[in-house]
Amino acid sequence: MNVSTATVPGGRIVRQSWASRYGATLAMPAGIVVLLVLGTVLSDRFLSVGNLTNVLINMSIVGIIVVGMTFVFVSRGMADLSVPATVAVGGILVLMLDDVIGTWPAALVGVLVASLAGVVNGVLVGYAGLNPVITTLASGIIVLGIAQAFVGGVIVYGQDAAAKDVLTGRLFGVVPVIVLIFLLVALLGHLALARSVFGRWTYAVGSNPHATEASAVPIRLVKAGAFVLTATLAGLSGVLLGISLQAARPEIGTGYEFDAITAVVVGGVSLLGGSGSIPRAIGGLLFVTLLNNILILQGVPSEPQGMVKGALIAGAVALDVYLRRRGGRE
Amino acid sequence: MRTTPLIGGAVAAVAALALAGCATGGTGGGDADSMDICYVTAAESHAYVTPANEAFDEAADEAGATVNRLSQEFDVQTGTDQLTTCVSQGADGIVLWPLDPQAYIPGMIAAQDAGIPLIIINSPMDAEAEEYYDSFTGPDVYEEGVLSADALDEVLGGTGNVVIIAGQAGNGTTIGRTDGFTERLAELGSEIEVLQVVNADFDQQKALEASRDLLTRFGDDIDGVYANDDTMALGFIDAWKESGRSLDALPPIVGINGQIQAFDLIKAGQYYATIVQSPAEDGKLAAETIIKLINGETVDKRLPIPLTVVTSDNVDSVDPAF
Amino acid sequence: MNAVRRAFDSDVFLGVVRYRVAIILVATIVVSASLVPGILEFRALSLSLDRISTTALVAVGLTVVLLAGKLDLSGGAILALSGITAIGLQEELGQVPAAVVGIGVGVLAGIVNGFLVVVLRINSLVATLASMLFFRALCHFITESRPFSGLDPLFGLVVSRPIEGTVTLRTIIFILLLVALHLWLTRAVAGRNLFAVGSNPVAAEASGIRANGYVFGTFVFAGTTAGAAGVIQSLSVNTGSPVFGESTSLLAIAAVVIGGTRLEGGRASALGTLGGLLVMAILTTAMEFSNVPAYIQNIVTGVILLLLILLDRFVSGKKGRNLSLTAFLRSVRRARRNPENERTHAP
Repeated sequence: MNVSTATVPGGRIVRQSWASRYGATLAMPAGIVVLLVLGTVLSDRFLSVGNLTNVLINMSIVGIIVVGMTFVFVSRGMADLSVPATVAVGGILVLMLDDVIGTWPAALVGVLVASLAGVVNGVLVGYAGLNPVITTLASGIIVLGIAQAFVGGVIVYGQDAAAKDVLTGRLFGVVPVIVLIFLLVALLGHLALARSVFGRWTYAVGSNPHATEASAVPIRLVKAGAFVLTATLAGLSGVLLGISLQAARPEIGTGYEFDAITAVVVGGVSLLGGSGSIPRAIGGLLFVTLLNNILILQGVPSEPQGMVKGALIAGAVALDVYLRRRGGRE
Repeated sequence: MRTTPLIGGAVAAVAALALAGCATGGTGGGDADSMDICYVTAAESHAYVTPANEAFDEAADEAGATVNRLSQEFDVQTGTDQLTTCVSQGADGIVLWPLDPQAYIPGMIAAQDAGIPLIIINSPMDAEAEEYYDSFTGPDVYEEGVLSADALDEVLGGTGNVVIIAGQAGNGTTIGRTDGFTERLAELGSEIEVLQVVNADFDQQKALEASRDLLTRFGDDIDGVYANDDTMALGFIDAWKESGRSLDALPPIVGINGQIQAFDLIKAGQYYATIVQSPAEDGKLAAETIIKLINGETVDKRLPIPLTVVTSDNVDSVDPAF
Repeated sequence: MNAVRRAFDSDVFLGVVRYRVAIILVATIVVSASLVPGILEFRALSLSLDRISTTALVAVGLTVVLLAGKLDLSGGAILALSGITAIGLQEELGQVPAAVVGIGVGVLAGIVNGFLVVVLRINSLVATLASMLFFRALCHFITESRPFSGLDPLFGLVVSRPIEGTVTLRTIIFILLLVALHLWLTRAVAGRNLFAVGSNPVAAEASGIRANGYVFGTFVFAGTTAGAAGVIQSLSVNTGSPVFGESTSLLAIAAVVIGGTRLEGGRASALGTLGGLLVMAILTTAMEFSNVPAYIQNIVTGVILLLLILLDRFVSGKKGRNLSLTAFLRSVRRARRNPENERTHAP
């Protein structure tokens, strides 16, 4: 949505400067280009097919969750903190059932049960109007607890090494299967959000709930839907993770919710809803993953990378807020 | 208001959720006229800890003692709190799995003041802690590091680049196994160089993520791998495969624990050595020791469990630990 | 269906909802006492309180932040950072000065949070997520991911040993703080201004209250209490560790929400927070005494949390009804006198 003019307080219409009109849109791709250059300069291993493929693999599991989280953000659902639980559900169920009903049916079961948790979230947030942060936090705690009780305190091992080989293998020997799955999900998500009716409704609900109330948009369904979607996709991630490791424990999903939120925020999708897109969120994820990669190549240990991430989030959001205000949209 | 029945329904749904949780739930505490052991273990679900816990329960059962098991879930803060709970609960004996060489000392002092016998299982604590526990049962982790260094030095012919995948930072086992390794290499005058040490918390998934980073940074420069336990070594192998490399090109790996997967890999030639350390023996010995102490017997300050180095030479004649 | 609706609409039910925190607390105590006979003994209660005291300090700060309508996820990370400072500087500064510096670190962290939220106008969820990641990583960086110990394990026993066989020092500290907060919120002008800022910042600003200043102050306060919690925690185990406090923030949020403080701001109660903390304290101790695994405790906490916010939603939908105990009793008396009128309201 581009506007070539902007209103400022006072009512005058002024020409926007090139920077403030395109700044928000171009910042991300520019940033990625900067990182690519930086990485190449700093390390000769960076710009290799092997390394960049690794970056894509690292992105894939979180990337699937990011797609769902974008819907949550755009619909003004704040955040979904139950992701670790739904990832665990997917991973544990697929491995528990893989020798009973076969890996792929077990995967389906895992995803379905995870989406059930999403339905609970959706009902509580969308229909009962509860605060999404606390609700998803609480439901996540409960679901994770049930998963732990179910598993009974041991690690679940998988029985299907063949499935693992398929999933961790590469198409034509080059493109990793898991990256393909992620790209497919991202594409479908993008089409849904940007082109479909549901997507338009999502934007409407997020940007102006009061006006939307007067229209025919089923607000509560849309809000609930975002949470169902996120839980389903998180379940899918868990299933993929479980199959590729052939081992799962209830803690398997820890931290993914914050990784997803980080990516979405850095990508410029606003927490207040109504704006953003899947490509932007993926762009944010790519940015963060590339940055991590560069730091690793420089020998910076994993934990201190968090300092950079934290500064990054703060900077990205501050920049976004600034550009918005200059661009006349608050 | 139409929301009322909806909210009512939601309340009912939450109650149902609660019931579902309770149905899968735990047991009430048993009371015994005999011995009450409070066992602060490292975790509920872990490849090594779980069989150790089970063996502990079995041995305690046989002696007619009841066990109240609290799990730290690898969190030191929780563990120190749980230790205080044990003391306040008036347990007859306390078994502690220390995840930190010093943090539990205040709690241990309280136990001593209350006259409760306390032993530590599996992981060593600092010298300062020695006066506060009655016995330490478990493997000699420093020795394990030494044996691993010998094995890796031998297979690499005394030179090369290795990476170390270490366990939970600050944990006595991690420190012992890692220091034992590096100091032994220095002792041998080996030219093996340690490229990097990463912490993977004895967890396969974290080891996978850390190994990805290692492979990104060093790639084929890695000549050998030393993992503080087999579980983490498996994570390294996962990362190796994920990066598209062939399993035949794996560098020699030395792990610890003696897991079945390690045995299979040694037979397949993809793993060099592991050190068998039986979790069942670990748990059993701890249970027997604390029961002896509760009954007033004296025990040695240090009660080790046996270790066996397993390579392709003896992999067929030794049983895996678990 | 009508009967069900009337049940949900009756004054009894709404009265229950109004006093939900107290009721949940009593229910917890009753259930725990029946499962674990020894739980009501003084020693067990004292242990429960001591157990929760670290979380409690963070929760006090969090109550204030939530009242202002903001969120703070960084409490746990600030806790760890302050603890590391307090233990790490012991050699150079001595134990007590190092502890003071540790609290100072908490203050600084709170200032950073305030800056991000008030000056840079970043949403508080995102801002404190960012600062949480940053501070946590800073902890790992400083300590190289290894916990380390202080000079003397016996020094910290001061805070965690029961005084004269009653409660521990840190219990007293957090209770005093809660009482002080309650008094401030109900009596002081500044406290009441904060309620205004939380429920309607624009209106508050219009009536001359400097909303931004207040919001900034709440973050500094939360940082200070988290810092204090970290110092006390680290001293009690004589260890500075980069992984302390990882679950503390969420536990504190749970306690505060169970206690009736709204996430949207404008409503908070220090006593409510105390109630929420007590619920969690007793639950933890009861579960551990009876060998119940941690995940069951998590399920129970999560359920209570959900129940509480559901009921809270209820109450907010019934504004204008007089739900106090006196009105309820009046209506019962009236119903007894006029049995054919089932529903009566206080005027």
